[in-house]
Amino acid sequence: MKRGIQVAKESFDKEIQFLRMLALTSGAFNRQQFADRLGISVHTFDKTIRRLKDIVSSTYQHLPEEQGKEFAETLKYSYYDSTDPMLLFLFRAKSVKESESQRLSLLLGAMNADALTAMELLDMCCSSLPAGVPQPDEKTIRSDLKYLEEVGVIRKEGASRPFRYRVHNDLVQQLSHEELIDLYDFVDVMANTQVPSVQGYLLRDGLKKHLLRNQVEQPAIEAFIYKYHYYSRILDEAHLFTLLNAIRQRHRVAFLYFSPKSEKSYGSKNTNPLFERESEGSAIKTLPLKVVYDHQYGRWYLLASGREGIRKYRMEGITRMETEDQPLSEEAFQAKRCELDEKMKYSWLIDTGLPVTVRARFYSPGDSEPNFVRARVLLQGQWGQIVDEDPYSFIYEITVNGTTEIKPWLRSFGSSCEVLEPVRLRREMIAEWKEILAYYEPFRENF
Amino acid sequence: MNLFEKIFNYQIISRLDDNGTFMVTSHERAWLKTMLEHPAAKDAFTAGTLEKLVSLLESDPLMDTADHLVQKARSREKQVYHPLLRTLRRHIMAKEAVQLTYGTKRGSVQEGHAGVPYKLEYSMVKREWYLLWYHLRRRSLMSTKLSKIVSVSHQAIAASKYECILQEISPRRDTRKFEVVIEILPDYNRELSRILYAFSSFEKDVAYNADKDTYSVSIILTGNDSDYLLSKLRFLGKRVRVVKGSYLKKRMQESALKALKLYGELPSEEELSG
Repeated sequence: MKRGIQVAKESFDKEIQFLRMLALTSGAFNRQQFADRLGISVHTFDKTIRRLKDIVSSTYQHLPEEQGKEFAETLKYSYYDSTDPMLLFLFRAKSVKESESQRLSLLLGAMNADALTAMELLDMCCSSLPAGVPQPDEKTIRSDLKYLEEVGVIRKEGASRPFRYRVHNDLVQQLSHEELIDLYDFVDVMANTQVPSVQGYLLRDGLKKHLLRNQVEQPAIEAFIYKYHYYSRILDEAHLFTLLNAIRQRHRVAFLYFSPKSEKSYGSKNTNPLFERESEGSAIKTLPLKVVYDHQYGRWYLLASGREGIRKYRMEGITRMETEDQPLSEEAFQAKRCELDEKMKYSWLIDTGLPVTVRARFYSPGDSEPNFVRARVLLQGQWGQIVDEDPYSFIYEITVNGTTEIKPWLRSFGSSCEVLEPVRLRREMIAEWKEILAYYEPFRENF
Repeated sequence: MNLFEKIFNYQIISRLDDNGTFMVTSHERAWLKTMLEHPAAKDAFTAGTLEKLVSLLESDPLMDTADHLVQKARSREKQVYHPLLRTLRRHIMAKEAVQLTYGTKRGSVQEGHAGVPYKLEYSMVKREWYLLWYHLRRRSLMSTKLSKIVSVSHQAIAASKYECILQEISPRRDTRKFEVVIEILPDYNRELSRILYAFSSFEKDVAYNADKDTYSVSIILTGNDSDYLLSKLRFLGKRVRVVKGSYLKKRMQESALKALKLYGELPSEEELSG
């Protein structure tokens, strides 16, 4: 390990890439094609599938264990059954030795019932662990307790030695059954509608199991569903906290970046750029300034400051991230942050190009219906304003950095939106509609 | 904060479930504490419960993600929670029928309709809650905005009848499903990941034709999803083409024709056929 660099102990890059590709391309590729695109062998592909299957089946015990059922099929998004976020199991994949997982769960089980000292816990472990599992010593128990206290799962009781430890679960102990239902619902709603969400999903999972143990039926718990949800977004939260931490501490990060749009990877090799071979990634060293979540596509970006100025990276292309431990001075960092904030002021998403004023006329759907066009513009139009209005239409005006990012949104209104300015955007829109019309030409005679 | 803590390991979690232990980490508490600051919390809990939760989490830190995380192209968050959610979710949990009075799109009020509520659905696009319910007299599947519901009251129903209806819902819903196929124009394959992200909120399958280097996405829809998919297709523009699904094809063509008319650029019949 290089000095001054913290290397993640276990990298889940492969698993994340693997799951993202499964989630996005569900079923498009055979084993060989899939492995090729990830840059791994078919053997590694099979091994990874076996491992992930194993985690999935023990995380979601209610899943039918159908032999030969395709893994992609298991993970497939099915709207009415989608209450459990299937991809969450990625965050359950950290490997732990069998003996350690037995010991930790035994310790927590014991501290759930009583407040116990390290020595009492050691005795309990020695008498309860099944034969064949190595017996822990006092040092191991003490280090387990230290770890569990650090992650906030247990709490020290009393002020004098020997300390007693108890599971830190007031959250469920102090609440009535009715209150727990309210809590479960709140966690479910917030995890699904807000970001970040992984901690919320983990909490939801724990509360759900707790309610199920207390005789609430599964279907009765799952009352809520979320329509048009970008469920794969949680995969990218894997890097989020490392980056937020680096920003907080003003640390630079280094990573291997695979641009999802790289021309080169598409040229002769005919590979999906998302999953190109590792050797094609580029080594990046940069100072993270902000993380952006784009609700339009359900994707994450890193905005950073490098030698060439402000750079943008898609979170999905970031692998093997390492954090350096030399912080930049507060002053220098703030200067870069302010510069970015200034440039981002008019970004529809992340464009930091020159600001331009876009004017568009939106047409009302007609008298008989509620004005859903206006409602949608108000809902999604960010900081744009309705500047003029008559019974049939209204004019929406917004200053944005460049027109590339807002264009798809304007186009999504179809013939309810007419771009007025800038003229260049108006011309582009006309040209695109002509192209789109051409796609459906042969169809014209059929209706 | 590390999301890959060993304490989240799946074997540990399943053992804890076996021995009946509820475990919560400081990560999850910090998340919860942060979320409780959202205005939605007031609708989610009684004042007493909210106070209790806040005091239980007093010693936990707040997450400072909002300082460094920017959310873009987000819809105005007009409704995260609705005051009726608590009432309706309890009717669903207790397997009860209800009497509903609700307003319609056109402004009339429908009084005292008996039905079985079975799910509460949040639209991530419209940012609103809907009640999905079975209309007992009409025997039809209904979807009603919570904001349109005037009143809800309990209605007696025999347990056997309730179960029967619940069994009926899923197959009824399936009969409304249909498939459309969208092709990604190979010229835009380099934008594949972005395009697939855009479709990731649908029930879908992707097929890849290696000879033609072409990806196609088949999407399973129910009737009222068409409008949303249509807006997604227009959003993606010339990158995608509907290859199966005459309704969507027709609507896409209509959009293009009407838009061009708006711009005074409607091609002549001659150009169209040429």
